[in-house]
Parts: sequence; C-alpha cells; structure tokens
Amino acid sequence: MVECGRHLNIEIHTLSRVTEVLGKKGNFNVTVEQKPRYVDMDKCIACGLCTEKCPKAVPDEFNMGVGKRKAIHIKYSQTVPLKYAIDSGNCLYFLKGKCKACEKFCPTGAINFQDQPRKISLNVGSIILAPGYEPFDPAKADIYGYGRIADVVTGMEYERLLSAGGPFQGHLLRLSDNREPKKIAWIQCVGSRTKNCGNLYCSSVCCMYAVKQAVVTAEHLHGDDVSQTVFFMDLRSHSKEFERYYEDARSRGVRFLRTRPHSIMPGKNNIGVSIEYTNDRGQRVEEGFDMAVLSVGLQAPPDALELAEVCGIELDRYHFAVTESFNPVATNRDGIYVCGAFQGPKSIPRSVTEASAAACVAGRSLLEARGTLTLEKTYPEERDVSGEEPRIGVFVCSCGINIAGVVRVQELAEYARGLPSVVHVENNLFTCSTDTQDLIAASIHEHRLNRIVVAACTPRTHEPLFQDTLREAGLNAYLLEMANIRNQNSWVHQKDAEAATAKAKDQVRMAVAKAALNAPLSRMTVPVVQKALVIGGGIAGMTAALEFAEKGYPTILVEKSDRLGGNAWHIGRTARGEEVRAVLLEMIPRVENHPEITVLKRAQVVSVRGSVGNFVSELEVEGKRRTEEYGVAVVATGGREYQPEEYLYGRDPRVMTHLQFDEELRERAPSIHKARSVVFIQCVGSRQPGRLYCSRVCCTHTVQSALRLKEMNAEMDVTVLYRDMRTYGTREELYFRARELGVLFLRYSLASKPSVFQEGGQLCVEVFDHVLERPVRISADYLVLASAILPNDIQGLVELYKCGVNEDGFVNEAHPKLRPVDMTVDGMFVAGLCHYPKPMDEAVAQAQAAVSRAAVLLARERLQLDAVKSYVTERCDGCGLCLDVCPYMAIRLEEYEKEGKVHRRIATDKALCKGCGLCEATCPKEGVMVHGFTLDQLRAQVNALVEAL
Amino acid sequence: MIIVHITALAQALGVHRNTIRNWMKSGRIRARSAPGKGILFSRKDFDDFCQAFRLEPEHLVFKELSLPLVPATVDAAPEEGLNHVPSTSREDSMSGKITGAVLVVGGGIAGIQAALDLADSGYKVHLLEKTSGIGGKMAQLDKTYPTNDCAM
Repeated sequence: MVECGRHLNIEIHTLSRVTEVLGKKGNFNVTVEQKPRYVDMDKCIACGLCTEKCPKAVPDEFNMGVGKRKAIHIKYSQTVPLKYAIDSGNCLYFLKGKCKACEKFCPTGAINFQDQPRKISLNVGSIILAPGYEPFDPAKADIYGYGRIADVVTGMEYERLLSAGGPFQGHLLRLSDNREPKKIAWIQCVGSRTKNCGNLYCSSVCCMYAVKQAVVTAEHLHGDDVSQTVFFMDLRSHSKEFERYYEDARSRGVRFLRTRPHSIMPGKNNIGVSIEYTNDRGQRVEEGFDMAVLSVGLQAPPDALELAEVCGIELDRYHFAVTESFNPVATNRDGIYVCGAFQGPKSIPRSVTEASAAACVAGRSLLEARGTLTLEKTYPEERDVSGEEPRIGVFVCSCGINIAGVVRVQELAEYARGLPSVVHVENNLFTCSTDTQDLIAASIHEHRLNRIVVAACTPRTHEPLFQDTLREAGLNAYLLEMANIRNQNSWVHQKDAEAATAKAKDQVRMAVAKAALNAPLSRMTVPVVQKALVIGGGIAGMTAALEFAEKGYPTILVEKSDRLGGNAWHIGRTARGEEVRAVLLEMIPRVENHPEITVLKRAQVVSVRGSVGNFVSELEVEGKRRTEEYGVAVVATGGREYQPEEYLYGRDPRVMTHLQFDEELRERAPSIHKARSVVFIQCVGSRQPGRLYCSRVCCTHTVQSALRLKEMNAEMDVTVLYRDMRTYGTREELYFRARELGVLFLRYSLASKPSVFQEGGQLCVEVFDHVLERPVRISADYLVLASAILPNDIQGLVELYKCGVNEDGFVNEAHPKLRPVDMTVDGMFVAGLCHYPKPMDEAVAQAQAAVSRAAVLLARERLQLDAVKSYVTERCDGCGLCLDVCPYMAIRLEEYEKEGKVHRRIATDKALCKGCGLCEATCPKEGVMVHGFTLDQLRAQVNALVEAL
Repeated sequence: MIIVHITALAQALGVHRNTIRNWMKSGRIRARSAPGKGILFSRKDFDDFCQAFRLEPEHLVFKELSLPLVPATVDAAPEEGLNHVPSTSREDSMSGKITGAVLVVGGGIAGIQAALDLADSGYKVHLLEKTSGIGGKMAQLDKTYPTNDCAM
C-alpha cells in the first residue's frame, strides 16, 4: 500500500467515482468526478492538530461505528495518502455555518472551505474494475437481534475490536459493559446460503475468518474459563493450508456445533446474549454467551449497478460482474476487466491473483504504447560516508500494539540512546507509515546520520521500503540494519513483558554494533534474458505460454507427455457449464502454431544454472539434450487423481472415480440412463490424516454430476455421502438445485466412514445416519468416489531450482496472501494444480497472474541484483573447501601466477551467488566473506550479545 | 453489399482500425459500420476504393450480401438497425493511437495489486478510490489466516 503511494507511475485519485466511459479498448476517455477534500494535499503535513481541535465527533466507519472519529479525519493511521479530509456531511461549518477550528489551528494553512467538486478527464487504454464488496447488513434479519442487542456484532466489527489500531487498542472488550468477554459464539452464514436474504451463494470466506477470529481470540483473552463456539452448517476450509488451520483450531479447543441457531435473545439487563438452537440429537438447547459474532457474508457494493451502467458491463443477479471460466477477468466489454470480490465473493489470495491476471490482460492490449507515459525513479547522489565516524539513528516501532503491547518501547528507546555511536532515537506508532519515511529522511539530514537501525518487524517484508527511504535521503541502502522485535520477540513472548523488553534491548544493541561496521555496497546489474520457460502443458501452462507470447516474449513450453492439454482432456464441463473439450481443441493449435512459442513434448528439465533474469537449463527432449536460456520460469506441472485403495475400488467395476465416471457419461450414457441408484462418496483420500487438505473441486463436481443424472432420469436415486459440502461462491446454487431435484445428501464423519460390500452380486453402501441415528443401507448401480487431487511428483524440479513444496507436495508461494503466484525462488512463478487443487477458472487466472508478475521482471532490460554476495579475500589459499558446500555452484577454482609461481585461489560468480554464507562459515581462514555479513560484523554482533552476560 | 473485416482492411492499409473508423466518419472512405467488426461497402464504392488504394479486393472481402443497394453515404440512416452494440458502449471520436495508461477503479487489495503490476511493467496507472484513502477492507482486518500475519 505504501509502495503504491510512493510509486512514480501511480496517480491516486481519492474521493472519486467514474461518471462516464467513452471510447474503446486501447483508447477510453473516462470522466471522473472528484468530491472536495477541503484540505490542500500539498500543504497538509498530517500533524493531526485539526483532528485534535475539531469539536464534532461522529461514529467511525473505519472501526465499523465502534468508537468515534472527528469530522476532519484520516481513515486510519497508516492511510495512503496520509492527508486529512473534511467530511462535509458532519462538519459544523457546513451544517451551521460556523466553527472553522481546524482552519484556525492548521499550521500550514491547508484548510480550504471553498474547495469545489472537480471533473477530471482521463485518457486510458484499459480499465480494471475492483470496487470490492460490502458486508451484509444483518439488521435486515431480526432473528439475530443485531442493532438491538449490544453484544451482537458483525465479523467486521469484531475485527476492529481485536485490532491493535481499533477502538480498544487490541484489548478485547464487549460493547455492553466494556468488560472482557469470556464465552463467545460465532454464527455462520449470516446473509449467505439462504433464500430469505436473497443471497443464495456462499460467501466463501466467512468460515475461515470465524475460525481465525476464534483462534486469535484465545490468544487475546486470559484465564481458563474462556471458550469459543462456532455455529455452522458446513465448514468450508477449502484453500491451501486451511484444513490444517481448522484442525488446529479444533485441537485448541474451539467448539464447532453443526446447527443453525434459531434466534438470539438478549441476556440479563441486555448484557450478553442467549442463543437458542437444536443440537445434533434434535433437542432444543438454550445457552448463554457473553457475546455473539455474526459471520456476515459478502455482497456486491451498492454502487456496483451504477458502475456497471456507466461502464456498460453485465452483472449477474447478485450484481457481481459476469465473466467466463477461460477468460476469468474479462467482462463483456472489450478493454474493461474485473478482479477481486466484485466478480464474486472470494478470499484475499484469489483477489490478489485475479488482480495480477487483470493487469496481465489489460497490459497485453496496450503493448505498443508500453513505456510511453511512465517515468523512471531517480535518487540523489549517494553521500560518501567512508571517512565519517558512525552516527547511528535508531527508530523503534510500536507497530500499534503488536510490539508495544508486550515490549516497553519507551524504555527500549531510552536504552538505545545510551548505546555507542547512537546520536538520535525515536519511537513511532508505525515506522513503516508514509509520514515516518519523511521523518526518517528529515532526521538523516538534520543529525547527519550515516547508519540507520530500525527496530520493528521482519526485513523480509519491510527492508526494501526502509532501504528506499535511505536512498532517497542520499544514503547507501546497505547502511540500514533491522532488529526484528516483533516476529522474533513480541509475538513469541506475549506472556512475559519483562524478558521481552530485555531481549529487545539485546536485539537493538546487537543491531547497533553491527550497523556501526556496515559499509556502502553497490548493486550489480545483469541483463534480463527476454525469454520465458513454462513447465507443464496443461490448461495453466498453455495459458501462461500464450500470454507470454502475446506480450511478445519468446516462450518455451515443456511438456512431459506427448500431447498438450493435461487433465482437461478428462473433464467434461466447468462449473459454469462451458464445454472443456471445445476450448482445448481451439487452444492447442493456437499454442502449437504461435510463432513465439516453442512446444517441446516428451521433454523435461534436467539441469538449471543461473538465477532470476539469467537461467540456463539443459532440456531433454525425446532423449536428446538442448540448452536454453531464459529470464523467468512458470511452473505448471499439474496434478493427478488419487487412486483409491478403499471402497472396493479396483475390485468392482461399478466403483469408479470422478474422471472415470465422466468418461462413462461421455461414452456409455445409455447404460447409466438405466441405473436405479447412483451413490457418491466425498472426501476419498482428502481431509484425513496424511493428506490434511480439501481437494476443493470435488463437491462441485459431484453436485454437477448428480444434476446431470437427475436430468437424464428424474426417477433415479442419487445419494451423496459427504462430510461438509463445499460448493463455495455461486456454486452453492448448484447444490441448492440438486436438493430441489431430490438428490439425497447424507453426512458421515471421519470416525464412521461408509462401508462398501457386495451382497448377492449387488453393490451395497452402508453409512451411519446422524438424523435417524442408525446405519442405513443403500444399494448402488454405480459408486462414484470423489477422490483427492494429488500434485504431480516434482521432487526433481524442486531440487534443481531449490524451491519449496509444502508437506502435501504442493509448490510453496512466497507469501500466501500477498504474493500468491510468486515462488520462493526469485524469477519463478506457479500456476494450476501444482499449487493447490482448483477449478479451471482459478487455474487460468493464476496462469495469467504468473505472467503478469513475470512480465514485471522482463519489463526491465537490466536487473539489479542484491549486493549481499560473497567475495574473495587476500587470505584465500585455494583449498577449495567452499566449492563443495556452495549449493548454487557459484564458486570455481582459478590459477594465477605470482612471482613466477602458480597459485590457486577461488573466484565467485556474483550472478549465481545468493549470499547464503555457507562458504564463509566453511572457510577455515577467512578467505571468503559475504558483503554485509563479514566476520567482523558478525563478531561485533555476538560480542554485543555476550557483553551483557 | 460487401462486408469487409475492419482488422483485415487496417492491416492491408498499414493503419490502425480506429484510423479507418475516423476516415469513415470524415467521409474519406464511403462505407459504414456493420455488426461485429465489419464495415459495409456498396459494390461500386468498394471497387473504387480498392482501385484508389491499389488493393486486391478478393483478399479483403469477408462476405458479400445480395441486398438491394442503398446509397452509401456517411450519415445513412439505417445504421442503428445494423448495430447490436449496447447503448452504453458509445464510441467517441478518437485518434488512432493506443494509450499506455490504465484506470483502476477501487483502491482495495485487488486494485492496489493490479496498479502495482501495471506500473512496474511500463504503464501509467490512475487509481480511483471513492473514500479518502486506499487500503479497502483488508486494512480493517486484524490478522489474516492461515499464518496469522498482520493484515497491514
């Protein structure tokens, strides 16, 4: 977000809406109406005096009405742009014609009550719509008592109650009496999955946010008498690592009750709540709770209709934008794309993935105009600090209460002031916020600082930001040192403030000691090979190859089998009902005939050298080897169907998997037509010990197949044995329709799986029915097993590229929320089933997103490498010990002549070196070091630690 | 009547499609737009046109219709009847150039990601937000699953 605010080529227009869109793809003329802010953005320094003096307090919508804000306000403390705005609907001057307190006190004269609405005309080539969603308003449904009972809150309000930046600074209190609640209930599917509120779809994210809130609540509250209860219908933890998270929540004692509460009544004196529900034995229970959280669903924003009208795009009946599975971010109007929850309720990683996908296709059509309107960032010349004594500035971050709630930051800052070479110390609420960056830059100039220590969170996410701040202030980026007092301290030592503060002091002291020895480093640049490698020729791989090629990058597509298409050959229709085979038959020739794509079948990658921007691989194609260079790679190696070992699979021909049954439907429909009973068993091989993940697509697939059977023959008995139905999003409609058509859904639990046996030649399924409380026997003409999706074995690739897979064998992403298609290795991206089981539309979006992310790298002709690299010192005698340990083969042995004698010495390849430091640790004579982590620096750090002992 | 695909014509002349449309509007080409991306000529106008631009007619013709000849003037009235474009996608007169800028509507996590990707790959981005600051719903969240990371 901060990056967005600082980006030279992003112009943010706040308080704005689109009023007219003229023109066509490539050349739109958009009229934007901007509401007045009444504050001059150039003059406002966000000092906050105006808010302090403003006499008018109103409910704060950012905190969901819990807590107050003033009429002149910023949304939250890290807002971008960090400039105040007057809300004219509440401002006393606009309501009553007098006050102007803010104008009186503003030190820069930024207040302008004469500000007028503006019309801005923008000329753009593509438009991406991402207006998001709106939480369902439960006041419409009176059974929840929302609005009448103080202790009934929505999920979003509860987020604010938990948040460090929220109204209670992260100390959870209930609203009726401001006391800490002990016993909390979550009610799922409020505003989702019912006809009553009009939202038949599943909102996809509420199950997981409720589970998360329950888990986080347990960390917030004290005492042994705390409990969390989740009332749910089907628990839908269908994304990567979610099932494990759910299981973890259960093992931590979160209570999950499968029932939809009848109503919520106020507790005594309107404090707390009383919930009436039916338990799984069918008995009515009334239970008291301190607080109830409504897991409200997501719905289209109220302005969706207007936006769609202005843009001329089609919406579905819930006012979500309509898209197609094989073109998941394109609307019906050429050149206008959608992403995020506006296309249907979805989680953050999918929104981020789609956003990149939209960027990919939006950029594709504007190729010829690329770079015509953009600016390059320039930095001031670096100050030469070589002759200077170290002058260290220390910035201690409170991170809201993330750090300050445990570590005594004031004390820490005072302590830092006394450390050697430290000349300036500050404590900030959020050191990463935009205004603090300006503050750091100002301090650098004012105090002539030449080393900076930031005691905050992890360098993994925030080092680039602070390095940039240093560069803008004329310092070399490597004069920064970070002490991670959040992840490595306040998060893990929540219960012991005393020891945590002492540890934070150690961390800062060590960082200061090392910073004093930090020297300016220069980054090397390497040319980026303008070529891409795509591994895997399924739908995801082909989409990626086509997108690269359309952007003009030569692409090599490596497929291990002898035909493109992968699993798509076996799938009938998508969840939206599109024919897969037709798309495949159209797509394959497009890939094979594209001038920029080289398709290599029966091929595999056998070796990898180099790194981002400059990979070199040997490929084995039909037994012959060839060498290819490429700048980026997309891994789309796909997955396969689990071959069940249970339920008589392989021993009775009537037992088959989904893919086999699909083929049966395609080839031998008439014989299926005659069947009297078809049984489906869900979660075969999924969601069980050893494979603790949900295969995501099988519930929808089953429901689709069941519908198909019912349409063929309405008399046929179709039974689905399930654990939780996970028809997320608008797929819920299919599930609803299946029940309407009389498909029978029977639930089983992991502890009492159905049993399958033959009896007199008849195939029988027996399952324990929870409603009847006794086993039920069903005879079946076909038994379809919804078997799990397994990732293809890519151990070889994992070792070649040094990338990671999770314990189920799915490729790891760099960050599960914010970088969902980037792999842990720079320059590598992931798409399709090898990342996690997913339906076709999500695989296509992911492939497009991977290309978008890769294109960011390819767009630069030269790539700056990190300066943290190994280098050889005078003391190297060529013993070669480091050659064996270097995992990147970045070290080689050289011979040279000196005074007539031949000596040996190592040389390092800067492009290959990752700065891991194995060589430095191995070398017995300080012959090889890593910049930024020299032995002197590390020694200083360790000495700083032990001096306290 | 002859329908020519506008892309084919643009390629044959080495200009952009929009240029062709502008020429049609200014009367330099005597034709009018047909459904899809076609443009409609009368036989005679088409022959004249091909001769003037030294084009080979058989490579261009997409479809020949045996309709009664209508005088093909620029402001020919029955145009609405042929067009199935929704009323909202009105076409403005424009230059033939493609603009290297993108409008992103919505400053939530999706909008931000799209803006960053585009801005980093060589496009100017206008990011539109209806409130006074970007960040959207994700900024309101406390922590995110499954890693319990801070949402900020």
